[in-house]
Amino acid sequence: MNRVFILVLVLVVSSCSNSGPGYEFMPNMYRSPSLETYGQNSVFSDSLNARKPVKGTIARNYLSTFYYDGTLSDYLDAGNNAINPIDNTEANINDGKKLYSMFCKHCHGEFGAGGGSITHPIYSAIPHYNEAKLLRRANLPMSELKPGHIFHAITYGLNAMGPHSSQLSEEERWKIVLYVQELQKYSAE
Amino acid sequence: MMKFFYNNTILQILVIVLISFTNIFSQDVVDSLAVQKGEQIFKTNCVSCHSIGTNSLIGPGLEGVTEKRKKDWLKKWINSSSDFIASGDADAIAIYEEYNKVAMTSFYFEDEDFEALYAYLKNPPIQVKATSADLVLASDEGVANSTKLMFIALFLLCLVYILTSLKNKLKESLDQQTETIPETLLNQFKLFISEHRNVVFVSVACIIVVLKFSYDSMLGIGVYSQYQPEQPIAFSHKVHAGENGVDCNYCHSSARNSKHSGIPSANVCMNCHTYINEGTITGTSEISKIYDAIGFDPDTRTYIEGYDQKPIKWVRIHNLPDLSYFNHSQHVVAGKVECQTCHGPIEEMDVVYQHAELTMGWCIDCHRTSEVAMEGNEYYTELHTQLKEKYKGEKITVDKIGGIECAKCHY
Repeated sequence: MNRVFILVLVLVVSSCSNSGPGYEFMPNMYRSPSLETYGQNSVFSDSLNARKPVKGTIARNYLSTFYYDGTLSDYLDAGNNAINPIDNTEANINDGKKLYSMFCKHCHGEFGAGGGSITHPIYSAIPHYNEAKLLRRANLPMSELKPGHIFHAITYGLNAMGPHSSQLSEEERWKIVLYVQELQKYSAE
Repeated sequence: MMKFFYNNTILQILVIVLISFTNIFSQDVVDSLAVQKGEQIFKTNCVSCHSIGTNSLIGPGLEGVTEKRKKDWLKKWINSSSDFIASGDADAIAIYEEYNKVAMTSFYFEDEDFEALYAYLKNPPIQVKATSADLVLASDEGVANSTKLMFIALFLLCLVYILTSLKNKLKESLDQQTETIPETLLNQFKLFISEHRNVVFVSVACIIVVLKFSYDSMLGIGVYSQYQPEQPIAFSHKVHAGENGVDCNYCHSSARNSKHSGIPSANVCMNCHTYINEGTITGTSEISKIYDAIGFDPDTRTYIEGYDQKPIKWVRIHNLPDLSYFNHSQHVVAGKVECQTCHGPIEEMDVVYQHAELTMGWCIDCHRTSEVAMEGNEYYTELHTQLKEKYKGEKITVDKIGGIECAKCHY
Protein backbone atom coordinates (compact mmCIF):
# COMPACT_ATOMS: atom_id res chain seq x y z
CA MET A 1 0.00 0.00 0.00
CA ASN A 2 2.76 2.40 1.01
CA ARG A 3 4.62 1.65 -2.16
CA VAL A 4 1.63 2.41 -4.36
CA PHE A 5 1.29 5.69 -2.52
CA ILE A 6 4.93 6.55 -3.09
CA LEU A 7 4.66 5.63 -6.75
CA VAL A 8 1.73 8.03 -7.15
CA LEU A 9 3.75 10.74 -5.43
CA VAL A 10 6.70 10.11 -7.72
CA LEU A 11 4.45 10.49 -10.76
CA VAL A 12 2.97 13.71 -9.38
CA VAL A 13 6.39 15.17 -8.72
CA SER A 14 7.76 14.17 -12.08
CA SER A 15 4.85 15.67 -14.01
CA CYS A 16 5.57 19.19 -12.76
CA SER A 17 6.43 21.51 -15.63
CA ASN A 18 8.81 24.46 -15.72
CA SER A 19 7.62 27.92 -16.76
CA GLY A 20 10.78 29.64 -18.02
CA PRO A 21 11.41 30.27 -21.69
CA GLY A 22 13.32 26.99 -21.84
CA TYR A 23 16.59 25.86 -23.38
CA GLU A 24 17.96 26.45 -26.85
CA PHE A 25 19.71 23.87 -28.95
CA MET A 26 22.85 25.58 -30.26
CA PRO A 27 22.03 29.22 -29.44
CA ASN A 28 24.39 30.56 -32.10
CA MET A 29 22.10 29.12 -34.74
CA TYR A 30 19.08 30.71 -33.08
CA ARG A 31 20.59 34.15 -32.72
CA SER A 32 22.65 35.40 -35.60
CA PRO A 33 24.89 38.44 -35.10
CA SER A 34 22.58 40.59 -37.24
CA LEU A 35 20.30 42.84 -35.21
CA GLU A 36 16.65 41.99 -34.58
CA THR A 37 13.98 44.65 -35.11
CA TYR A 38 13.19 45.34 -31.48
CA GLY A 39 16.54 44.38 -29.97
CA GLN A 40 19.30 46.44 -28.43
CA ASN A 41 22.78 47.31 -29.61
CA SER A 42 25.88 48.97 -28.23
CA VAL A 43 26.39 51.36 -31.16
CA PHE A 44 23.74 53.98 -30.54
CA SER A 45 23.58 55.94 -27.34
CA ASP A 46 19.93 55.01 -26.74
CA SER A 47 20.75 51.37 -27.67
CA LEU A 48 17.56 51.03 -29.75
CA ASN A 49 17.62 48.90 -32.91
CA ALA A 50 14.39 50.49 -34.09
CA ARG A 51 15.62 53.81 -35.47
CA LYS A 52 13.58 56.81 -36.38
CA PRO A 53 13.97 57.85 -40.03
CA VAL A 54 16.22 60.82 -40.71
CA LYS A 55 14.22 64.03 -40.79
CA GLY A 56 12.77 64.63 -44.22
CA THR A 57 13.03 60.99 -45.29
CA ILE A 58 10.21 59.74 -47.46
CA ALA A 59 9.67 55.99 -47.51
CA ARG A 60 9.04 54.42 -50.90
CA ASN A 61 5.37 54.74 -51.90
CA TYR A 62 4.79 57.13 -49.02
CA LEU A 63 5.13 60.45 -50.88
CA SER A 64 2.42 62.62 -49.42
CA THR A 65 -0.15 64.39 -51.57
CA PHE A 66 -1.82 66.03 -48.57
CA TYR A 67 -0.16 69.35 -47.84
CA TYR A 68 -2.01 70.45 -44.74
CA ASP A 69 -0.74 70.54 -41.18
CA GLY A 70 -2.62 69.87 -37.97
CA THR A 71 -3.94 73.37 -37.33
CA LEU A 72 -7.57 74.42 -37.37
CA SER A 73 -7.10 76.71 -40.37
CA ASP A 74 -5.54 73.86 -42.35
CA TYR A 75 -8.43 71.65 -41.31
CA LEU A 76 -10.81 74.15 -42.88
CA ASP A 77 -8.56 74.58 -45.96
CA ALA A 78 -8.28 70.81 -46.42
CA GLY A 79 -12.07 70.57 -46.36
CA ASN A 80 -12.36 73.18 -49.08
CA ASN A 81 -9.52 72.08 -51.32
CA ALA A 82 -8.29 68.52 -50.75
CA ILE A 83 -9.36 66.01 -53.39
CA ASN A 84 -9.48 62.24 -52.85
CA PRO A 85 -6.89 60.76 -55.24
CA ILE A 86 -8.48 57.30 -54.94
CA ASP A 87 -11.19 56.35 -57.46
CA ASN A 88 -14.66 55.93 -56.05
CA THR A 89 -15.07 52.28 -57.04
CA GLU A 90 -16.82 49.46 -55.27
CA ALA A 91 -13.53 47.63 -54.68
CA ASN A 92 -12.02 50.68 -53.01
CA ILE A 93 -15.10 51.23 -50.87
CA ASN A 94 -14.95 47.59 -49.80
CA ASP A 95 -11.29 48.00 -48.89
CA GLY A 96 -12.31 51.07 -46.93
CA LYS A 97 -14.98 49.08 -45.15
CA LYS A 98 -12.46 46.43 -44.11
CA LEU A 99 -10.07 49.08 -42.82
CA TYR A 100 -12.95 50.88 -41.10
CA SER A 101 -13.81 47.72 -39.19
CA MET A 102 -10.20 47.42 -38.02
CA PHE A 103 -9.52 51.04 -37.13
CA CYS A 104 -12.79 52.87 -36.54
CA LYS A 105 -15.59 50.47 -35.65
CA HIS A 106 -14.79 50.04 -31.96
CA CYS A 107 -15.60 53.71 -31.32
CA HIS A 108 -17.77 54.86 -34.25
CA GLY A 109 -19.86 51.70 -34.42
CA GLU A 110 -20.51 49.50 -37.40
CA PHE A 111 -22.47 52.12 -39.35
CA GLY A 112 -20.86 55.30 -38.07
CA ALA A 113 -23.74 55.92 -35.72
CA GLY A 114 -21.85 55.34 -32.48
CA GLY A 115 -22.46 52.33 -30.25
CA GLY A 116 -19.01 50.83 -30.69
CA SER A 117 -17.59 48.28 -28.30
CA ILE A 118 -15.64 50.88 -26.31
CA THR A 119 -17.93 52.10 -23.57
CA HIS A 120 -15.65 54.50 -21.70
CA PRO A 121 -17.57 57.76 -20.98
CA ILE A 122 -15.13 59.84 -23.05
CA TYR A 123 -15.97 57.78 -26.12
CA SER A 124 -19.68 57.37 -25.45
CA ALA A 125 -20.90 60.58 -27.11
CA ILE A 126 -19.59 59.87 -30.60
CA PRO A 127 -21.33 62.04 -33.22
CA HIS A 128 -23.21 60.15 -35.93
CA TYR A 129 -21.90 60.49 -39.48
CA ASN A 130 -25.36 61.15 -40.90
CA GLU A 131 -26.32 63.69 -38.25
CA ALA A 132 -27.51 66.75 -40.20
CA LYS A 133 -28.50 69.33 -37.60
CA LEU A 134 -25.64 70.34 -35.33
CA LEU A 135 -23.02 72.60 -36.85
CA ARG A 136 -19.46 71.44 -36.19
CA ARG A 137 -16.24 73.45 -36.23
CA ALA A 138 -16.27 73.69 -40.03
CA ASN A 139 -19.74 75.24 -39.72
CA LEU A 140 -21.12 72.11 -41.33
CA PRO A 141 -23.03 69.21 -39.79
CA MET A 142 -21.45 65.74 -39.74
CA SER A 143 -23.36 64.57 -42.78
CA GLU A 144 -21.90 67.33 -44.96
CA LEU A 145 -18.24 67.15 -43.94
CA LYS A 146 -15.98 67.10 -47.01
CA PRO A 147 -13.42 64.36 -47.81
CA GLY A 148 -10.64 66.75 -46.79
CA HIS A 149 -12.18 67.25 -43.34
CA ILE A 150 -12.49 63.51 -42.81
CA PHE A 151 -8.95 62.83 -44.02
CA HIS A 152 -7.59 65.61 -41.84
CA ALA A 153 -9.42 64.20 -38.80
CA ILE A 154 -7.99 60.70 -39.39
CA THR A 155 -4.50 62.06 -39.99
CA TYR A 156 -4.20 64.57 -37.15
CA GLY A 157 -7.04 63.53 -34.85
CA LEU A 158 -9.99 65.64 -33.74
CA ASN A 159 -11.31 66.28 -30.24
CA ALA A 160 -10.90 63.05 -28.25
CA MET A 161 -9.86 61.10 -31.35
CA GLY A 162 -6.13 60.60 -31.72
CA PRO A 163 -4.06 60.86 -34.92
CA HIS A 164 -3.97 57.63 -36.95
CA SER A 165 -1.32 58.50 -39.50
CA SER A 166 1.22 56.10 -37.99
CA GLN A 167 -1.12 53.13 -38.41
CA LEU A 168 -2.55 53.83 -41.86
CA SER A 169 -0.92 54.84 -45.14
CA GLU A 170 -2.41 57.78 -47.01
CA GLU A 171 -3.96 55.45 -49.56
CA GLU A 172 -5.63 53.46 -46.80
CA ARG A 173 -6.89 56.63 -45.15
CA TRP A 174 -8.42 57.85 -48.42
CA LYS A 175 -10.14 54.47 -48.79
CA ILE A 176 -11.61 54.87 -45.32
CA VAL A 177 -12.77 58.37 -46.34
CA LEU A 178 -14.64 56.80 -49.28
CA TYR A 179 -16.42 54.41 -46.94
CA VAL A 180 -17.17 57.11 -44.34
CA GLN A 181 -18.78 59.16 -47.11
CA GLU A 182 -21.03 56.18 -47.79
CA LEU A 183 -21.93 56.09 -44.11
CA GLN A 184 -22.75 59.82 -44.14
CA LYS A 185 -25.64 58.89 -46.46
CA TYR A 186 -26.60 55.95 -44.29
CA SER A 187 -29.57 56.45 -42.02
CA ALA A 188 -30.34 54.14 -39.12
CA GLU A 189 -34.06 54.18 -39.89
CA MET B 1 -63.37 78.44 23.17
CA MET B 2 -59.94 77.80 24.35
CA LYS B 3 -60.23 74.28 23.14
CA PHE B 4 -61.39 75.33 19.72
CA PHE B 5 -58.58 77.82 19.34
CA TYR B 6 -56.11 75.21 20.38
CA ASN B 7 -57.47 72.73 17.88
CA ASN B 8 -57.53 75.31 15.16
CA THR B 9 -53.92 76.35 15.61
CA ILE B 10 -52.83 72.75 15.66
CA LEU B 11 -54.76 72.17 12.49
CA GLN B 12 -53.23 75.25 10.89
CA ILE B 13 -49.76 74.26 11.87
CA LEU B 14 -50.38 70.78 10.58
CA VAL B 15 -51.64 72.11 7.27
CA ILE B 16 -48.68 74.46 6.90
CA VAL B 17 -46.23 71.72 7.73
CA LEU B 18 -47.95 69.38 5.31
CA ILE B 19 -47.97 71.92 2.51
CA SER B 20 -44.37 72.82 3.01
CA PHE B 21 -43.45 69.14 3.05
CA THR B 22 -45.29 68.41 -0.18
CA ASN B 23 -43.67 71.49 -1.64
CA ILE B 24 -40.22 70.34 -0.77
CA PHE B 25 -41.08 66.86 -1.89
CA SER B 26 -42.50 67.84 -5.26
CA GLN B 27 -39.67 70.31 -5.84
CA ASP B 28 -37.27 67.49 -5.19
CA VAL B 29 -39.02 65.15 -7.58
CA VAL B 30 -39.07 67.73 -10.37
CA ASP B 31 -35.43 68.54 -9.80
CA SER B 32 -34.21 65.00 -9.71
CA LEU B 33 -36.17 64.20 -12.87
CA ALA B 34 -34.67 67.20 -14.60
CA VAL B 35 -31.22 66.28 -13.32
CA GLN B 36 -31.66 62.75 -14.63
CA LYS B 37 -32.72 64.01 -18.03
CA GLY B 38 -29.88 66.50 -17.98
CA GLU B 39 -27.45 63.73 -17.20
CA GLN B 40 -28.74 61.83 -20.21
CA ILE B 41 -28.30 64.89 -22.44
CA PHE B 42 -24.83 65.48 -21.01
CA LYS B 43 -23.80 61.91 -21.64
CA THR B 44 -24.99 61.83 -25.23
CA ASN B 45 -23.73 65.26 -26.27
CA CYS B 46 -21.05 66.66 -24.02
CA VAL B 47 -18.80 64.01 -22.46
CA SER B 48 -16.48 63.61 -25.42
CA CYS B 49 -15.19 67.11 -24.81
CA HIS B 50 -16.17 68.08 -21.24
CA SER B 51 -15.83 66.46 -17.86
CA ILE B 52 -18.21 67.25 -15.02
CA GLY B 53 -15.19 67.70 -12.73
CA THR B 54 -12.46 70.35 -12.86
CA ASN B 55 -10.14 68.69 -15.37
CA SER B 56 -10.30 70.05 -18.90
CA LEU B 57 -10.47 67.65 -21.84
CA ILE B 58 -11.06 69.25 -25.25
CA GLY B 59 -13.04 71.97 -23.53
CA PRO B 60 -12.98 73.12 -19.90
CA GLY B 61 -14.22 71.00 -16.99
CA LEU B 62 -17.71 72.05 -16.03
CA GLU B 63 -17.64 71.91 -12.23
CA GLY B 64 -19.12 75.11 -10.86
CA VAL B 65 -19.82 76.52 -14.33
CA THR B 66 -23.30 77.60 -13.23
CA GLU B 67 -21.73 79.87 -10.61
CA LYS B 68 -19.10 81.18 -12.98
CA ARG B 69 -21.49 82.04 -15.82
CA LYS B 70 -25.02 83.36 -15.93
CA LYS B 71 -27.75 81.10 -17.23
CA ASP B 72 -28.42 83.35 -20.22
CA TRP B 73 -24.77 83.37 -21.11
CA LEU B 74 -24.59 79.56 -21.00
CA LYS B 75 -27.70 79.25 -23.11
CA LYS B 76 -26.33 81.51 -25.83
CA TRP B 77 -22.98 79.76 -25.75
CA ILE B 78 -24.38 76.23 -25.93
CA ASN B 79 -26.94 77.01 -28.61
CA SER B 80 -24.51 78.63 -30.98
CA SER B 81 -21.09 79.56 -29.67
CA SER B 82 -19.98 80.86 -33.07
CA ASP B 83 -22.87 83.35 -33.27
CA PHE B 84 -22.22 84.33 -29.67
CA ILE B 85 -18.54 84.97 -30.35
CA ALA B 86 -19.43 86.95 -33.47
CA SER B 87 -21.72 89.12 -31.33
CA GLY B 88 -18.58 90.30 -29.55
CA ASP B 89 -19.10 89.03 -26.00
CA ALA B 90 -15.76 89.46 -24.22
CA ASP B 91 -16.05 86.31 -22.07
CA ALA B 92 -17.04 84.21 -25.05
CA ILE B 93 -14.09 85.46 -27.08
CA ALA B 94 -11.75 84.87 -24.14
CA ILE B 95 -12.76 81.22 -23.74
CA TYR B 96 -12.60 80.72 -27.52
CA GLU B 97 -9.03 82.04 -27.53
CA GLU B 98 -8.09 79.98 -24.48
CA TYR B 99 -9.10 76.73 -26.17
CA ASN B 100 -7.15 77.29 -29.40
CA LYS B 101 -10.03 78.80 -31.34
CA VAL B 102 -11.80 75.49 -31.64
CA ALA B 103 -15.48 76.25 -32.09
CA MET B 104 -17.87 74.24 -29.97
CA THR B 105 -20.63 72.40 -31.82
CA SER B 106 -23.89 74.42 -32.01
CA PHE B 107 -26.55 72.45 -30.19
CA TYR B 108 -29.76 74.52 -30.38
CA PHE B 109 -31.38 72.67 -27.48
CA GLU B 110 -35.11 73.01 -26.85
CA ASP B 111 -35.82 75.16 -23.78
CA GLU B 112 -36.91 72.13 -21.82
CA ASP B 113 -33.71 70.23 -22.67
CA PHE B 114 -31.56 73.22 -21.82
CA GLU B 115 -33.30 73.55 -18.42
CA ALA B 116 -32.62 69.87 -17.75
CA LEU B 117 -28.99 70.20 -18.77
CA TYR B 118 -28.66 73.31 -16.62
CA ALA B 119 -30.18 71.48 -13.67
CA TYR B 120 -27.65 68.70 -14.13
CA LEU B 121 -24.74 71.14 -14.35
CA LYS B 122 -25.99 72.82 -11.19
CA ASN B 123 -26.33 69.51 -9.32
CA PRO B 124 -23.44 67.41 -10.55
CA PRO B 125 -23.10 63.95 -9.07
CA ILE B 126 -20.81 63.67 -6.08
CA GLN B 127 -17.63 62.15 -7.36
CA VAL B 128 -16.54 59.09 -5.44
CA LYS B 129 -12.85 58.62 -5.70
CA ALA B 130 -11.60 55.09 -5.43
CA THR B 131 -8.99 54.77 -2.75
CA SER B 132 -5.97 52.66 -3.34
CA ALA B 133 -7.30 50.12 -0.84
CA ASP B 134 -10.32 49.50 -3.06
CA LEU B 135 -8.24 48.61 -6.04
CA VAL B 136 -7.97 44.95 -6.66
CA LEU B 137 -4.33 44.25 -7.08
CA ALA B 138 -3.28 41.36 -9.20
CA SER B 139 -2.08 38.74 -6.76
CA ASP B 140 0.79 36.44 -7.48
CA GLU B 141 -1.35 33.37 -6.92
CA GLY B 142 -0.50 30.43 -9.06
CA VAL B 143 2.91 31.76 -9.99
CA ALA B 144 4.76 29.09 -8.09
CA ASN B 145 1.98 26.53 -7.79
CA SER B 146 3.94 23.77 -9.45
CA THR B 147 6.98 24.43 -7.28
CA LYS B 148 4.87 24.46 -4.13
CA LEU B 149 3.28 21.19 -5.14
CA MET B 150 6.69 19.68 -5.73
CA PHE B 151 7.91 20.69 -2.27
CA ILE B 152 4.82 19.25 -0.64
CA ALA B 153 5.25 16.03 -2.57
CA LEU B 154 8.91 15.80 -1.58
CA PHE B 155 8.04 16.42 2.07
CA LEU B 156 5.38 13.70 2.03
CA LEU B 157 7.81 11.37 0.31
CA CYS B 158 10.39 11.88 3.06
CA LEU B 159 7.73 11.38 5.72
CA VAL B 160 6.58 8.13 4.17
CA TYR B 161 10.14 6.91 3.86
CA ILE B 162 10.95 7.68 7.52
CA LEU B 163 7.79 5.99 8.74
CA THR B 164 8.26 2.84 6.69
CA SER B 165 11.88 2.48 7.71
CA LEU B 166 10.87 3.01 11.35
CA LYS B 167 8.26 0.29 11.02
CA ASN B 168 10.83 -2.07 9.50
CA LYS B 169 13.32 -1.33 12.25
CA LEU B 170 10.68 -2.21 14.84
CA LYS B 171 9.80 -5.36 12.99
CA GLU B 172 13.47 -6.34 12.86
CA SER B 173 14.00 -5.92 16.57
CA LEU B 174 10.89 -7.95 17.34
CA ASP B 175 11.60 -11.09 15.33
CA GLN B 176 15.05 -11.65 13.94
CA GLN B 177 15.15 -13.92 10.98
CA THR B 178 18.18 -15.86 9.96
CA GLU B 179 18.44 -17.25 6.46
CA THR B 180 20.99 -19.30 4.65
CA ILE B 181 22.82 -17.77 1.72
CA PRO B 182 21.38 -19.13 -1.53
CA GLU B 183 23.72 -20.69 -4.07
CA THR B 184 22.60 -19.34 -7.45
CA LEU B 185 23.19 -15.75 -8.49
CA LEU B 186 19.50 -15.24 -9.27
CA ASN B 187 18.51 -16.38 -5.79
CA GLN B 188 21.14 -14.15 -4.23
CA PHE B 189 19.70 -11.24 -6.20
CA LYS B 190 16.18 -12.12 -5.05
CA LEU B 191 17.38 -12.29 -1.45
CA PHE B 192 19.07 -8.90 -1.83
CA ILE B 193 15.84 -7.42 -3.11
CA SER B 194 13.75 -8.96 -0.36
CA GLU B 195 16.20 -7.83 2.34
CA HIS B 196 16.61 -4.29 0.95
CA ARG B 197 13.14 -3.70 -0.42
CA ASN B 198 13.05 -0.04 0.56
CA VAL B 199 16.45 0.79 -0.82
CA VAL B 200 15.65 -0.88 -4.12
CA PHE B 201 12.26 0.80 -4.32
CA VAL B 202 13.60 4.28 -3.58
CA SER B 203 16.38 3.96 -6.13
CA VAL B 204 13.94 2.77 -8.81
CA ALA B 205 11.71 5.71 -7.98
CA CYS B 206 14.69 8.07 -8.25
CA ILE B 207 15.62 6.63 -11.62
CA ILE B 208 12.06 7.14 -12.87
CA VAL B 209 12.10 10.76 -11.73
CA VAL B 210 15.47 11.44 -13.32
CA LEU B 211 14.49 9.78 -16.58
CA LYS B 212 11.16 11.54 -16.73
CA PHE B 213 12.73 14.95 -16.06
CA SER B 214 15.50 14.49 -18.56
CA TYR B 215 13.06 13.17 -21.19
CA ASP B 216 10.77 16.15 -20.67
CA SER B 217 13.56 18.69 -20.77
CA MET B 218 15.01 17.13 -23.92
CA LEU B 219 11.61 17.36 -25.61
CA GLY B 220 11.26 20.94 -24.45
CA ILE B 221 14.51 22.18 -25.97
CA GLY B 222 13.59 25.03 -28.30
CA VAL B 223 9.87 24.71 -27.51
CA TYR B 224 8.56 27.62 -25.51
CA SER B 225 4.80 27.09 -25.55
CA GLN B 226 3.08 28.35 -22.40
CA TYR B 227 5.95 30.78 -21.89
CA GLN B 228 4.35 33.66 -20.00
CA PRO B 229 6.85 36.28 -18.89
CA GLU B 230 5.97 39.28 -16.78
CA GLN B 231 5.80 42.43 -18.92
CA PRO B 232 7.03 45.90 -17.87
CA ILE B 233 3.45 47.21 -18.10
CA ALA B 234 0.60 44.93 -17.02
CA PHE B 235 -1.21 45.40 -20.33
CA SER B 236 -4.26 43.17 -20.57
CA HIS B 237 -5.26 41.86 -24.00
CA LYS B 238 -8.45 40.62 -22.33
CA VAL B 239 -9.52 44.17 -21.57
CA HIS B 240 -8.41 45.73 -24.88
CA ALA B 241 -9.08 43.05 -27.48
CA GLY B 242 -11.77 41.19 -25.55
CA GLU B 243 -13.99 43.53 -23.57
CA ASN B 244 -13.33 46.68 -25.59
CA GLY B 245 -13.32 44.83 -28.90
CA VAL B 246 -10.37 46.65 -30.42
CA ASP B 247 -9.20 44.86 -33.56
CA CYS B 248 -5.74 43.26 -33.40
CA ASN B 249 -4.71 45.30 -36.46
CA TYR B 250 -5.43 48.56 -34.69
CA CYS B 251 -2.33 48.29 -32.52
CA HIS B 252 -0.37 45.70 -34.50
CA SER B 253 -0.95 47.61 -37.72
CA SER B 254 2.26 46.46 -39.38
CA ALA B 255 1.14 42.81 -39.38
CA ARG B 256 -0.67 43.67 -42.62
CA ASN B 257 2.37 44.97 -44.48
CA SER B 258 5.52 43.71 -42.85
CA LYS B 259 7.42 40.63 -41.80
CA HIS B 260 6.91 41.70 -38.20
CA SER B 261 3.66 42.23 -36.42
CA GLY B 262 4.99 45.39 -34.82
CA ILE B 263 4.75 46.26 -31.18
CA PRO B 264 2.72 49.48 -31.11
CA SER B 265 4.72 52.57 -30.32
CA ALA B 266 3.46 54.63 -27.39
CA ASN B 267 1.68 57.13 -29.66
CA VAL B 268 -0.82 54.38 -30.50
CA CYS B 269 -1.50 53.88 -26.78
CA MET B 270 -1.98 57.63 -26.50
CA ASN B 271 -4.72 57.66 -29.15
CA CYS B 272 -7.03 56.58 -26.34
CA HIS B 273 -4.97 57.06 -23.19
CA THR B 274 -4.59 60.79 -23.63
CA TYR B 275 -8.07 60.86 -22.15
CA ILE B 276 -8.39 57.49 -20.42
CA ASN B 277 -6.06 57.84 -17.45
CA GLU B 278 -7.45 55.09 -15.28
CA GLY B 279 -7.66 51.39 -16.08
CA THR B 280 -10.36 48.98 -14.96
CA ILE B 281 -7.99 46.57 -13.19
CA THR B 282 -4.93 48.49 -12.08
CA GLY B 283 -6.22 52.06 -11.83
CA THR B 284 -3.62 54.66 -12.72
CA SER B 285 -0.52 52.66 -11.78
CA GLU B 286 0.03 50.91 -15.13
CA ILE B 287 -1.21 53.62 -17.50
CA SER B 288 1.07 56.14 -15.80
CA LYS B 289 4.01 53.97 -16.90
CA ILE B 290 3.25 54.97 -20.50
CA TYR B 291 3.24 58.63 -19.46
CA ASP B 292 6.51 58.03 -17.65
CA ALA B 293 8.12 56.58 -20.75
CA ILE B 294 7.18 59.38 -23.12
CA GLY B 295 6.84 62.36 -20.79
CA PHE B 296 3.14 63.13 -20.76
CA ASP B 297 1.51 65.08 -17.98
CA PRO B 298 -2.01 63.69 -17.48
CA ASP B 299 -3.10 66.67 -15.38
CA THR B 300 -2.46 69.30 -18.03
CA ARG B 301 -2.71 66.79 -20.91
CA THR B 302 0.45 68.07 -22.50
CA TYR B 303 3.78 66.52 -23.40
CA ILE B 304 6.69 67.67 -21.28
CA GLU B 305 9.18 69.52 -23.47
CA GLY B 306 12.72 68.21 -23.61
CA TYR B 307 11.75 65.04 -21.75
CA ASP B 308 14.24 62.20 -21.90
CA GLN B 309 12.00 59.51 -23.35
CA LYS B 310 12.62 55.93 -22.35
CA PRO B 311 11.67 52.91 -24.44
CA ILE B 312 9.22 50.45 -22.90
CA LYS B 313 11.12 47.17 -22.72
CA TRP B 314 8.46 44.60 -23.60
CA VAL B 315 9.59 41.01 -23.19
CA ARG B 316 9.47 39.06 -26.42
CA ILE B 317 7.40 35.89 -26.18
CA HIS B 318 7.17 34.42 -29.69
CA ASN B 319 10.61 33.98 -31.14
CA LEU B 320 11.47 31.79 -34.09
CA PRO B 321 15.11 30.80 -34.39
CA ASP B 322 17.05 32.89 -36.90
CA LEU B 323 17.45 29.84 -39.11
CA SER B 324 13.84 30.00 -40.24
CA TYR B 325 12.00 32.75 -42.05
CA PHE B 326 8.48 33.80 -41.16
CA ASN B 327 6.45 36.66 -42.59
CA HIS B 328 3.32 38.04 -40.92
CA SER B 329 1.84 39.90 -43.90
CA GLN B 330 2.12 36.78 -46.05
CA HIS B 331 -0.04 34.87 -43.58
CA VAL B 332 -2.40 37.67 -42.54
CA VAL B 333 -3.09 39.29 -45.93
CA ALA B 334 -2.54 36.65 -48.63
CA GLY B 335 -3.19 33.61 -46.43
CA LYS B 336 -6.09 35.26 -44.58
CA VAL B 337 -5.14 33.41 -41.40
CA GLU B 338 -6.79 34.66 -38.20
CA CYS B 339 -4.35 35.87 -35.56
CA GLN B 340 -5.89 33.42 -33.09
CA THR B 341 -4.96 30.42 -35.25
CA CYS B 342 -1.36 30.71 -34.10
CA HIS B 343 -1.61 32.99 -31.07
CA GLY B 344 -4.54 31.27 -29.36
CA PRO B 345 -7.32 32.98 -27.45
CA ILE B 346 -5.41 36.26 -27.06
CA GLU B 347 -8.64 38.15 -26.32
CA GLU B 348 -9.05 36.08 -23.13
CA MET B 349 -5.50 36.51 -21.85
CA ASP B 350 -4.74 39.01 -19.12
CA VAL B 351 -1.08 38.07 -19.41
CA VAL B 352 -0.12 36.74 -22.82
CA TYR B 353 1.49 33.32 -23.12
CA GLN B 354 2.76 31.46 -26.12
CA HIS B 355 -0.08 29.30 -27.36
CA ALA B 356 1.52 27.35 -30.20
CA GLU B 357 4.66 25.23 -30.07
CA LEU B 358 6.20 27.03 -33.06
CA THR B 359 8.08 23.85 -33.95
CA MET B 360 8.70 22.82 -37.54
CA GLY B 361 6.26 19.92 -37.19
CA TRP B 362 3.59 22.37 -36.11
CA CYS B 363 4.20 24.60 -39.14
CA ILE B 364 4.21 21.67 -41.57
CA ASP B 365 1.04 20.15 -40.07
CA CYS B 366 -0.82 23.39 -40.69
CA HIS B 367 0.57 23.75 -44.23
CA ARG B 368 -0.61 20.22 -45.03
CA THR B 369 -4.16 20.74 -43.79
CA SER B 370 -4.94 24.43 -44.52
CA GLU B 371 -6.53 25.23 -47.84
CA VAL B 372 -5.18 28.10 -49.93
CA ALA B 373 -7.37 31.19 -49.55
CA MET B 374 -8.55 31.84 -53.10
CA GLU B 375 -11.51 34.10 -52.34
CA GLY B 376 -10.67 37.78 -52.58
CA ASN B 377 -7.06 37.18 -53.64
CA GLU B 378 -7.26 38.75 -57.09
CA TYR B 379 -3.53 39.29 -57.33
CA TYR B 380 -3.03 35.52 -57.62
CA THR B 381 -5.99 34.77 -59.92
CA GLU B 382 -3.80 33.38 -62.70
CA LEU B 383 -1.92 31.03 -60.40
CA HIS B 384 -5.12 29.91 -58.73
CA THR B 385 -6.82 28.98 -62.03
CA GLN B 386 -3.74 26.97 -62.99
CA LEU B 387 -3.83 25.17 -59.66
CA LYS B 388 -7.53 24.40 -59.99
CA GLU B 389 -6.87 22.76 -63.36
CA LYS B 390 -3.90 20.80 -62.09
CA TYR B 391 -5.60 19.42 -58.98
CA LYS B 392 -9.12 18.92 -60.28
CA GLY B 393 -11.51 18.24 -57.42
CA GLU B 394 -8.71 17.89 -54.88
CA LYS B 395 -8.29 20.11 -51.87
CA ILE B 396 -5.58 22.64 -52.68
CA THR B 397 -3.62 22.89 -49.49
CA VAL B 398 -0.61 25.10 -48.77
CA ASP B 399 1.87 22.27 -49.34
CA LYS B 400 0.70 22.11 -52.99
CA ILE B 401 1.98 25.66 -53.57
CA GLY B 402 5.33 24.86 -52.05
CA GLY B 403 4.44 25.26 -48.39
CA ILE B 404 6.71 22.40 -47.33
CA GLU B 405 9.71 23.11 -49.54
CA CYS B 406 12.81 23.49 -47.37
CA ALA B 407 14.05 26.68 -49.00
CA LYS B 408 10.75 28.46 -48.52
CA CYS B 409 11.65 29.02 -44.87
CA HIS B 410 15.29 27.97 -44.54
CA TYR B 411 17.69 29.90 -46.73
